[in-house]
Amino acid sequence: MDAGRAGADLRYQAGAGPKTITERFTPADLAGRRCRSNHASHELGLSQIGLLWKPIAMTADSVSAGDDPRLLLSEVRTLAGRVRRDQRLTWVALLVLAAVTFVAIPFDWLFMKVHCDGSGCMFARRGMLYYWPPALLLAYAAIALSYVRAARARGLGARVLPYAITGAATVVVFTAAYTAAAAYFPTHPPFGGGPLPFWWIVLDRLIAPWGLIGLALLVLARLERNVALLLFTLGYLALVLLVLPTTDGMDLPGWASPSFMSGTNIQLRLSMTPSQLITGAVLLAAGIAFATARRSRR
Amino acid sequence: MTADTDTPGPPDHPATDLDEVVHQRVRLGILAIAHEARRVEFGYLRIHLDLTAGNLSKHLTVLETAGLVDIEKGYEGKRARTWVTLTTAGNTALAEEIGRLKALIARVEITTEDQRS
Repeated sequence: MDAGRAGADLRYQAGAGPKTITERFTPADLAGRRCRSNHASHELGLSQIGLLWKPIAMTADSVSAGDDPRLLLSEVRTLAGRVRRDQRLTWVALLVLAAVTFVAIPFDWLFMKVHCDGSGCMFARRGMLYYWPPALLLAYAAIALSYVRAARARGLGARVLPYAITGAATVVVFTAAYTAAAAYFPTHPPFGGGPLPFWWIVLDRLIAPWGLIGLALLVLARLERNVALLLFTLGYLALVLLVLPTTDGMDLPGWASPSFMSGTNIQLRLSMTPSQLITGAVLLAAGIAFATARRSRR
Repeated sequence: MTADTDTPGPPDHPATDLDEVVHQRVRLGILAIAHEARRVEFGYLRIHLDLTAGNLSKHLTVLETAGLVDIEKGYEGKRARTWVTLTTAGNTALAEEIGRLKALIARVEITTEDQRS
């Protein structure tokens, strides 16, 4: 590999093994030796392209220059994977998001405006606009800070900034969409006030805070190259977009309200709670599971 | 006969392009960790590469001299901390080295298959 050193006393190392040879060998000599490595045929191939006969007289080469490209690549991948695992703090992100989801429930209840007349009831969830934008911004800031502090304590940089930026962007999207909807739809009901198509319902759920939390988690899973988080997030998104009526309220059959909650007003407020409880519980359970898995790995 | 006279690889062989500074197990490991971590502390490198402080310092000096990493020394409280950051040149060198390693593996596989057939 390092040409033009004829006559010099070069030290060569055979394969990735520990033995250093100080004599002069030709590649043919060495290729003829019995290879003790598990990668015998592979090393033979490497020797023939001259890769194994590498001078190791480089500065500070106290560690052998294991030149098997497969081993080198494998080591690089292993080290990168270890760094990524050490940078992760997935459980903190999930627990913070679970806490934010649970705290939203009383805000939603208290600030919901309900107007009923003979034809039916209209409701506006004002609490969502009052609570979620600042709460999500604080949550993403807290998550980013936790990641940075934990990574720094371990001697690493953090790769959480794109997640926090995505989270902040989703807050802007949510605020803009809900403000526009609150201003426009009371006088111009979508689809003429008739039944809503399913894609519209899914879109409505996607730009709700619970859907946007899932979108930001997808970014976190990509940043961390965390397959477990990706799978969880896909399941979570399926739940909040396709299963739970997060924006419409849920009337559970046989769910008898206590007598002091029998009014339509209260029933409507109550119907919004189960979806939020389930979403928070799912995030909480996932956070605990990730924390447990991390502890058991260590 | 010397090794050099017997191993004149073809000029376009991927092995001829290998950068001696990067193509070394420990230094490649340092670059890989620094790339993944954005910023890595000396102690983390020492533990995960299983090196002595002196040995790691020598490798870091080689990389810093080549302009592949930036080294920043400071204190956190009373504790001395040395942070290593990959430079743009280091990033490029790492990407090129990995590309060459992949090319070499592909070349070796072709060579081995030819010998078997």
